[in-house]
Amino acid sequence: MPRDVLSYDVLVIGSGLAGLRAALQAEIASNGKARVAVISKLQVMRSHSVAAEGGTSAVLRPEEGDSIELYMWDTIKGGDFLSDQDAVERYCRLMTSEVLFLDHLGLPWERRPDGRIDQRPFGGQSFPRACYAGDKIGFFEMHTLYDNLLRFDNVDFFEEHFVTSLLIRDKTFYGVTAIDMKTGDLRVFLGKAGIIATGGAGQIYKFTTNARTLTGDGYAIAYRAGIPLEDMEFVQFHPTGLVPSGVLITEAARGEGAILLNNKGERFMARYAPNMMELAPRDIVSRAMMTEILEGRGFKDEESGMEYILEDMRHIGRDRILRKLNNIRELALRYNKIDIIEQPIPVRPAQHFMMGGVRADIDGKVLYADGTWVKGLWGAGEAANVGVHGANRLGSNGTGVCLVWGRLTGEQAAKYALEHQNDSISVPEDQVEKEEKRIYDGLLHGRGGGENHYKIREELRETMDKYVGIFRDEKGLTIALKKIKELKERFKEIYIEDKSLAYNTDLIMAMETQNMLDVAEVIATGALARKESRGAHYRTDYPKRDDQNFLKHTLAVMGPDGSPQLEYVPVKIVYWLPVERKY
Amino acid sequence: MSVQTYEVIFRIRRYSPEKGSYWQEYKLTVDRFTQFTEALRRIKTEQDPSLAYRASCHMAVCGSCGMKINGEPRLACKTLVSGIINKYGSNVITIEPMDYFPVIKDLIVDWEDFYTRMFKVKPRLYPAKEVLEGKGEHRLKPEDQRRLWKFAQCIWCGLCVSVCPVIREDPEFLGPAAHAKGYRFLTDPRDTITDERFKILSDSAWRCTYCYHCFSVCPRDIEPVTAIKKTRALTKYVKEPTNVTFNGVKHSEAIAGSIKTTGKIMESLVYLQTYGLSRSLKDLIFIAKAGRGGSLISSILEEKPVKNVSEIKKLFEG
Repeated sequence: MPRDVLSYDVLVIGSGLAGLRAALQAEIASNGKARVAVISKLQVMRSHSVAAEGGTSAVLRPEEGDSIELYMWDTIKGGDFLSDQDAVERYCRLMTSEVLFLDHLGLPWERRPDGRIDQRPFGGQSFPRACYAGDKIGFFEMHTLYDNLLRFDNVDFFEEHFVTSLLIRDKTFYGVTAIDMKTGDLRVFLGKAGIIATGGAGQIYKFTTNARTLTGDGYAIAYRAGIPLEDMEFVQFHPTGLVPSGVLITEAARGEGAILLNNKGERFMARYAPNMMELAPRDIVSRAMMTEILEGRGFKDEESGMEYILEDMRHIGRDRILRKLNNIRELALRYNKIDIIEQPIPVRPAQHFMMGGVRADIDGKVLYADGTWVKGLWGAGEAANVGVHGANRLGSNGTGVCLVWGRLTGEQAAKYALEHQNDSISVPEDQVEKEEKRIYDGLLHGRGGGENHYKIREELRETMDKYVGIFRDEKGLTIALKKIKELKERFKEIYIEDKSLAYNTDLIMAMETQNMLDVAEVIATGALARKESRGAHYRTDYPKRDDQNFLKHTLAVMGPDGSPQLEYVPVKIVYWLPVERKY
Repeated sequence: MSVQTYEVIFRIRRYSPEKGSYWQEYKLTVDRFTQFTEALRRIKTEQDPSLAYRASCHMAVCGSCGMKINGEPRLACKTLVSGIINKYGSNVITIEPMDYFPVIKDLIVDWEDFYTRMFKVKPRLYPAKEVLEGKGEHRLKPEDQRRLWKFAQCIWCGLCVSVCPVIREDPEFLGPAAHAKGYRFLTDPRDTITDERFKILSDSAWRCTYCYHCFSVCPRDIEPVTAIKKTRALTKYVKEPTNVTFNGVKHSEAIAGSIKTTGKIMESLVYLQTYGLSRSLKDLIFIAKAGRGGSLISSILEEKPVKNVSEIKKLFEG
């Protein structure tokens, strides 16, 4: 059958902050010469980066006491010393110019009275260095980048294209297969270079701040192509998810002064982080909140059955709330009928971010377990682990890493692609046919058994919430792994009810669930093997950090039986040896 | 405490190329915090996997889930089912795709026309050369940042375009969302292509009829019509006004003049002053030929200034 084949220099998979920044830099670096395809399962501006609220950190005011070294130290200590310190250094140095770059492109950063960019405090950052725009930073960053990308004639957007596999031959990337959701057809994209920028996997948890669409697709397609996933057991739980919806209440609220209260009216953070209080890093605040709840000092929402802590913003005052926290005020008004000006709101930790990701080096080059580069392939943003976040990401560093590695990978990919422009690549008929069979014969028209893939998804999410959450132990993780393996077996028997082709979101959601299962298995496996507590990974049966045995990155590679096999690689320690982490 | 729930019948307007369009009903129990996106997700995952709709962020910032709920254009994630039940006093709720956008499948519509409109306004900053080359640094006064803030909030959800009556009639009108976006850059002191922006925006701004539909449906309170008004208010800086702009300004002046001198809008006077004698006569003959001349002439003759017009004059002068 005739196949739809499209050829580009650079394929950017994902249209969030990292993807758009990469595409833009590919154009800037190549003077508009590189032909770039941005492929996304969503419409472009729907990617969840638009929901980032609080800010993007950068060192802008050395004259007022901030410094690159201080920013690096905050990030490394925040990451509980699992960060690769060379990557952190590059990140902190490049952020300053990224903030100014976005300013040049028109981003309306909040201003000081003298017209210069204003900054606000954020968790774990020992200097107020989060640049912001109200409480909608991701929204403005995304729109600013997108608007500017449209200037370039050589960028094509393939919206609502669901990438199903990476095409790799002889350890070299040369394209992807993707379902065009509008027609339901499988298209082949050939590219000299590729950038995985598909974001995270929050949907494997039930209580998450993430969009319904964050299903770990990039992790899964890389993993199935033999690429290791790194440090996936480090899952960030944001302290303040609104109960019961899980909508994100930005850390900037605490940056502006919000306090957390238990049912005794105590500001309990004094017991956990006496210096930084509510502005300690997220792993510490989330654990403190859950400890309060587990020890009976939380509140209970009778309708949802969920327990929570109160976040109080009343003392911030009406004017400042309206100016700086207006978005979350609207959210609480809308979803809880509570005005934060007058009343505290119910919050509890919610899954928020994956510190781990596709294994990538300091340049964002995607690496195999043996350390060789998957030629032509890069990764950026939440999808890739370049080593900055370590075991716990600091608030306001997520958008920053998207920007810096979007820029770095976009530039390299464009250069590489133009250097290899004359390499001939042909459609790998065998791989594409295999993919077609898997999707259309196997899933869409497969006989299947009676399994309902939506049920499988819900059971997975419940399992992850229950056993692979903030507090973990061997018993729970073993149960979780067994359950995930059972769900994987059951997935083989699913039945797709919708047989149509155009916008068959039944089929797409089934494929997402398949991706979620693989990612969840990697997380649980890594968590079970890591017998220590570090950053966001907390084992009640191993409550101490163990630098002797676990100051190392986890790599999970898909084994021949389809389950993950673990290896470990050292952390790059350049400046600071691990010390006790106190806030 | 007992949990309050609602039994709801959702009547969803469905469409597929094979089946055409039809209504389908689903029954669902929801609680008082259930968003429409959550209701749709549950219908899809628990009852009918073939139902197609778009939704992503579930917090009213990504713009995916615009649709008509009981005929009102709304973001599904921003709307609670219980709110609609209370507003309409009925547990039967209809859900349809947005108007104007061509439907592809069920609640999923085609966006090409919308994007084309947005791209036309050059939706990006064109900073000064020195700044781009790194030789200068932007300063932006907080008050300038505030002025463009409101209009920079557009999430491209399309609701305003779906209700705009002018878009349907006038191919030269850019539409409300594009005007909000365009004005956001027109008013940014860091921008350098003001003349070009006037060329793009000014003519179109004078094509709006001020019906305020965009104002009332916008889920982010952007007030696209306010952006259009503010663009019109800057017409004096437009270097080459088009006929539409020119007539628009004259029309405004004629209305103001009419109110000032007569205390009301004297339709015939306004028409005459806007379009001039010869065009007005031509139009009069056209209307007369259509058999409506008698009523038009009598209404012109009946137009009288209001009493105490001097009080209104004082308002204008004060």
